[in-house]
Amino acid sequence: MASQPNQPIFSVSDFVAVVNQTLDFAYPMVEVEGEVSEFKVNQGKFIFFNIKDAESSVGCFMTVWQMRVPIEDGMKVIVSATPNVTKWGKFSLTVKAIRPSGEGALKKSFELLKAKLDGEGLFADERKRQLPRIPQHIAVISSVQAAGYADFIKILGDRWGGVKIDVAHTLVQGADAPDQIIRAISYFNQLEFLPEVLVIVRGGGSADDLAAFNDELLVRAIAGSRIPTLVGVGHEVDESLADLAADVRASTPSNAAQILVPDKNEMIRSVQGQINSLLPRMIQAIDQCRQAIGISLSSVIDQVGLLIGENEKLVSYLRNTLSQLNPEKVLARGYALIRGEPILDGMIEIETSKVIMKAEVKNVSKK
Amino acid sequence: MSVKSKTISEKTAQLNELVSWFDGDEFTLELALDKFKEAEKLAIEIESDLNSLKNEIQIVKQKFDSER
Repeated sequence: MASQPNQPIFSVSDFVAVVNQTLDFAYPMVEVEGEVSEFKVNQGKFIFFNIKDAESSVGCFMTVWQMRVPIEDGMKVIVSATPNVTKWGKFSLTVKAIRPSGEGALKKSFELLKAKLDGEGLFADERKRQLPRIPQHIAVISSVQAAGYADFIKILGDRWGGVKIDVAHTLVQGADAPDQIIRAISYFNQLEFLPEVLVIVRGGGSADDLAAFNDELLVRAIAGSRIPTLVGVGHEVDESLADLAADVRASTPSNAAQILVPDKNEMIRSVQGQINSLLPRMIQAIDQCRQAIGISLSSVIDQVGLLIGENEKLVSYLRNTLSQLNPEKVLARGYALIRGEPILDGMIEIETSKVIMKAEVKNVSKK
Repeated sequence: MSVKSKTISEKTAQLNELVSWFDGDEFTLELALDKFKEAEKLAIEIESDLNSLKNEIQIVKQKFDSER
C-alpha cells in the first residue's frame, strides 16, 4: 500500500516516543483490576508481574519502595499505573500504587503483613507506652469532615475540658490517605513542644475504606512515633494493623475519647460523694464525744453520791457520839446533876432524870 | 486549665488529703468543722472548674496532601 501524502515516516524510537506521548495524554493514570501472576522481585529492587483476567494479560513494573502491601500470585489487585511501550516494543504498566481488591485479597494481604510486622516485634506488648491520665495537649489526625472525628470531639468535650487539641486534617481513606497521615505523624513528631498523645481516628467503613490503616509504611510510622499513640479506627469488630501498632487501641473514635480523658460528671459525683461521706464521720465523732461526756458526767455523779454517802455516815456517827454525851442520857442511867456549892449548911440543887430537888448540905467530908 | 491558680488535679489532691484527715489519727472535733468547710469549698470549686473548662481546638495550617 502506498503511503498517503503528508503521512510522517517515524524512526522506530520516534514512533515509540509518539505512542508513549499519546498514551500519556489519553491515560495519564489508569486503574486496572485483575489477578496477579508471575510475581517476581529482581535484585531486591524491581518488581515484575502480570495482571490478568479471563482473556487478557498485561505486564507490570514497579519498585519495591512503591509496594505498600504484600502481594502474591493469585491475589486480586487494583493497580494505579501509567501505560507505556518499552523500547523493545512491549506494552506494560508502570505501577505507581497497588492495593488488594475484594475481601479475600484484602484479608490475605492483611494476614501476610500482620505476620511480617509481628515477626519484627512491632505489635509486642513490651513496646506499649501508657498514656497520661489527664493529657492537657493532644494531637489528632483525622478528616475534620468525617463523622468519626465529630464523635470523638463531641465525646471529648462532654467528658472533659481544658485540653489543647491540635488537629491535622488528612484523608482517612483511599490511596493517598496513608501518605497524608504519615506526613501528619511526622509533623507532630518534629514539633518543639510535643503533644502528650497522638490520636488517629476514623469512623466505620467497608474493608476497602479502612485498608489505608493496613498500609505498611503507615503502620511503621505509628510504631515509630515519639509521641504515644492512640488509634480508634472503624467499629468494634474492625481490626487494623494501625490499631495493633498503636500504644493503645480504641474500638471506635468515641471509645478513643473515653480512654483519653476521665468523665467530669463521674468526677463531680465522686467529689460530692467524698463530701457526703464526711458528714457521717462528723456525726459519729459528735456521738462519740457525747457518749464520752455522758460517761464522765455519770462518773462525777457517782463520785459525788459516794462522797455524800460517806459524809452522811460521818454525820450519823457524830450524831450517835453526841447522843451518848447528852446529860439526859447520863441522868437516865441513874446519875444526878448537882448545882451549887457543896458547903456545910449550904443549899444545893439536885436534878435526876425525873425531878429537881433542893437540899441542905449536912455533912461534907473529903474522899 | 493552666490559667487557674490551681489545677483541678491539685485541688483534687488537696481534697483527698482533707478527706483522709477525717479518717486519720489527727482528727479532732474542734478542727473538723473548719476542715469540712474547706473541703466543701474545694468541692464546689472543682465542680465549677470542670463545668467551665472548654477544649481548645486548633486546625493545623500545614497541608499534608503532598510533600512540602
